[in-house]
Amino acid sequence: MRLLRAPDRAAREDAGDAHGQAEPAAGASSELALSVRGLSTVYETGGATVHAVRDVSFDLRPTERLGIVGESGSGKSALALSILGLIEAPGRVLDGEIVLGGRDIARLSDRQLGAVRGKEIALVLQDPSTALDPVKTIGAQIVEAIAVHEPQLRRAAARKRAADLLREVDISHAERRLDDYPHQYSGGMRQRVAIAIAIANNPSVLIADEPTTALDVTTQAQVLALLDRLVDEHRTAVILITHNLGIVSDFCDSVAVMYAGRLVETSGVDHIFLAPGHPYSEALLKCVPNPERLTEGPLPAITGFPPDLSSLPTGCSFAPRCPIGRELAECHERTPQPHRVSGPAGEATVECHFAEQRIREVRV
Amino acid sequence: MSAREERPGASAGVAATREPILQAESLSKSFQVRGGDRFGRKHPVKVLDDISLTVYRGESFGLVGESGCGKSTLARCLLRLLELSAGRVLFDGVDLTTLDRDELRALRRRMQFVFQDPFASLDPRMTAGAIVEEPLDIHGIGDERERMRAALEMLADVGLTAEQARRRPHAFSGGQRQRIGIARAFVLRPEVVILDEPISALDVSVQAQVLNLLSRLQEQLGLTYVFISHDLAVAEYFCDRVAVLYLGQVMEVADRATLFRSPLHPYSVSLLSAVPIPLAGGRARRASRPQPIGEVGSVVERPPGCPFEPRCPVGRGREICRTQRPAMSNPAEGHLVACHFPGEAPLSAPHKNGGPPADLAAPADAGE
Repeated sequence: MRLLRAPDRAAREDAGDAHGQAEPAAGASSELALSVRGLSTVYETGGATVHAVRDVSFDLRPTERLGIVGESGSGKSALALSILGLIEAPGRVLDGEIVLGGRDIARLSDRQLGAVRGKEIALVLQDPSTALDPVKTIGAQIVEAIAVHEPQLRRAAARKRAADLLREVDISHAERRLDDYPHQYSGGMRQRVAIAIAIANNPSVLIADEPTTALDVTTQAQVLALLDRLVDEHRTAVILITHNLGIVSDFCDSVAVMYAGRLVETSGVDHIFLAPGHPYSEALLKCVPNPERLTEGPLPAITGFPPDLSSLPTGCSFAPRCPIGRELAECHERTPQPHRVSGPAGEATVECHFAEQRIREVRV
Repeated sequence: MSAREERPGASAGVAATREPILQAESLSKSFQVRGGDRFGRKHPVKVLDDISLTVYRGESFGLVGESGCGKSTLARCLLRLLELSAGRVLFDGVDLTTLDRDELRALRRRMQFVFQDPFASLDPRMTAGAIVEEPLDIHGIGDERERMRAALEMLADVGLTAEQARRRPHAFSGGQRQRIGIARAFVLRPEVVILDEPISALDVSVQAQVLNLLSRLQEQLGLTYVFISHDLAVAEYFCDRVAVLYLGQVMEVADRATLFRSPLHPYSVSLLSAVPIPLAGGRARRASRPQPIGEVGSVVERPPGCPFEPRCPVGRGREICRTQRPAMSNPAEGHLVACHFPGEAPLSAPHKNGGPPADLAAPADAGE
C-alpha cells in the first residue's frame, strides 16, 4: 500500500492558500479539524472482497468545506461511514488513522466512539424522513440528541436548547413546533431538523451525505445557506458528499473526486472547473448538461461501467473507460502515483500518469 | 452565446411543426383527500387547476416544477391514464375524454409512457425480450416470430444484445433497465412518448447515455416527447419548449431560449436562480443571488390569488396578487405568462448572460 502523506497534505494546504484562508502551522495535525490517513474499508460477501475505500488520505481544516464527488458505488458513503465508525458487518475498516481533535478515533472502543460521535463529529443523511423517528416529537428527538452527551442537563434546559436549535435552523414558532411529529413538517423542514440534531452538540466536523438530493431546488438553496451559517458562526468543518458538481461549486472550497474507492483528484474548488486534472473528473464535468456551456449534439457520455470493486483491474482503475488511457499499456499496467500539479486555480493532487502533461496543455 | 439558439436541440432532426398533436383544454384534476375537518371527512383537492397547453408534433415539450406542482399527474391525465375532473384532452384532434375503453386502447398504441423508476416499472419475472414484446402482443401486432424479431431489433436499437434479451431485470444495471423500459415504450412506434423523469433515478454518467439514446430515437422515429423533469439544466438541454408549473397551475410557457434567458414569471426566475451551475466561482455567484422565500406550498391550501404570491419577491403582500388569480397573458408569439407583474423580477447574470466572466472562462475542453 502506498502512503500519500507528504504530497497529499501539502496539496491541501496549498489549495487553502488559493482561497486566502487562514492556514494552520504546517503539518500540525492538532490544528486540523480532521486528518485521515491510509483508510481502507472492505466488505466481505460470499467469498468476494469488495474494496470500497482504498488507502484514502486527506486533511480537513477548521471551517473547510470539502466536497467529495463520485457516482454511486464509488465508495463515498462507505468513506463517510468509515470515518464515523459506522461500518457494519460484513464490512470492516481494515486499516487507517482518523485523527479528530488530536486523537486517533479509529483506535477507540465502540463505547468511547459513542461519546465522540454526535458530539465532535456528526452526520446528516440524504433522506430526512428516514433520519427521524416518526412516533417521537421533533422536540423529544432533539432533546435526546443533547442528553446523550450531557446527561446531567435538566429537562427544561434541554428543551430550551432544542427550541434555540430549531430557531437556528429557521423554523418559525419553534417552541410550539417542538411538539409536532415529523410528518407535520415538510421535507425541507425535516432536513433542517436533521441538521439541528447533528449540530446539537456543536461538532467540529459535520459530514453531510447528499443532504439536498431529496429536496426541491429552492429548498436546496435554503439548506446550503443554513450550512453556510454553521461554518461561519460555529467554525464547523463540513464534508459534503454529492454527485452534483453544481452544488460543489456553490458550497465548497475544496473538492475530492472519488472513483473506485480512491480520491483520484483533490484540489481547491475552482481548479476542477477550470482545469480538471484527472480524465475522470473532466468526464464527470462534461457529461452533465451545463446551462452555461451547452454542447452541440450528444452529451459526451462516459463509456462503460465502473469497475467491479471485488476484482479491480491492474493499473489505473479508470483506464478501461478513459479516453486517454484506454489504449495505453502504461495505464493498464502501472498504478498511477499521486502527482502534484499547479494549474490556473492553484495546486491539485492527481492520480494520473498524464497529470503534468494535461495541466501544461491547459495553460497553453 | 449564439450557440444556444443555433444548437441542434433534441428534436433537430425532426423539425418541430406547428401542428398540434396533444392539447389540454381547461384541464382540472381533483383527488379526494381525507382530513380537513376533525371528523376526517373526505373533501376534494384540486391538484391540477385549469391547465391549457398545446404540444406540437415533432417537438420535445418540457414540464418543469418542484414537488407537488402536479407535473406527473398532468402527464397521466394527458394520456387519460387518470380520468380528468374537468376539461378535455385532444390527441391528434380526437377528444380522449369521449372515448370508450376499446377506442382508448386502440389509440394508446400511438402514445406511450416511460416511467421514472426502472426498478419498479419492469416485471421481475419476465425476460427483457418478453417485456419488450408484450405491448405488441397486447395490441395483436404480427405473429409470434415477427413480434420476437421486432422486440430484438428494438432492444438492439437501445444497445442490448439478443443474449441479454433472455435475462430478467435483476441482471441489469439501472441504466440498462431504463433502456428496456424505453424499448418497451418505443416498440409500438408511438407518435407521442411521455417521459416522466426518465433519468432521475440514474447515475450522472448513465444519464448522459440515456439522454443521447432518447435524442437519437426521436430523430430516427420522428417522435413527439413530453419530458417531465425537476432538473432545469436537463430540461434546458433537452426541450424545445417548456411549461413551468406551480401548485397545479401553469405559470409560464415559452421556447427554450426565452424561458431560460429571459423568463417573465417571478417563479421561473426563482427556480432558475436556484440551480447550482458546475462552473468556477459558485460561492460568489450564490452569494449574489436572492434567497428563495419560504417553501413550496401545498395544493391543499392553495392561495386564492396567485399560488406563488406568498413566496414571490414581486407580488408578496400585494392586494391583487393575494386575491386575483392572474389571467394568462401573451407577451410575445409563443410566450405565455400568468402574472400580474410579469418581468418585474428579471433573471440576473450569469444565469442570463451565459458563460463565466472572461478571466474564469478557461477552457474545460483544453484539458483533453
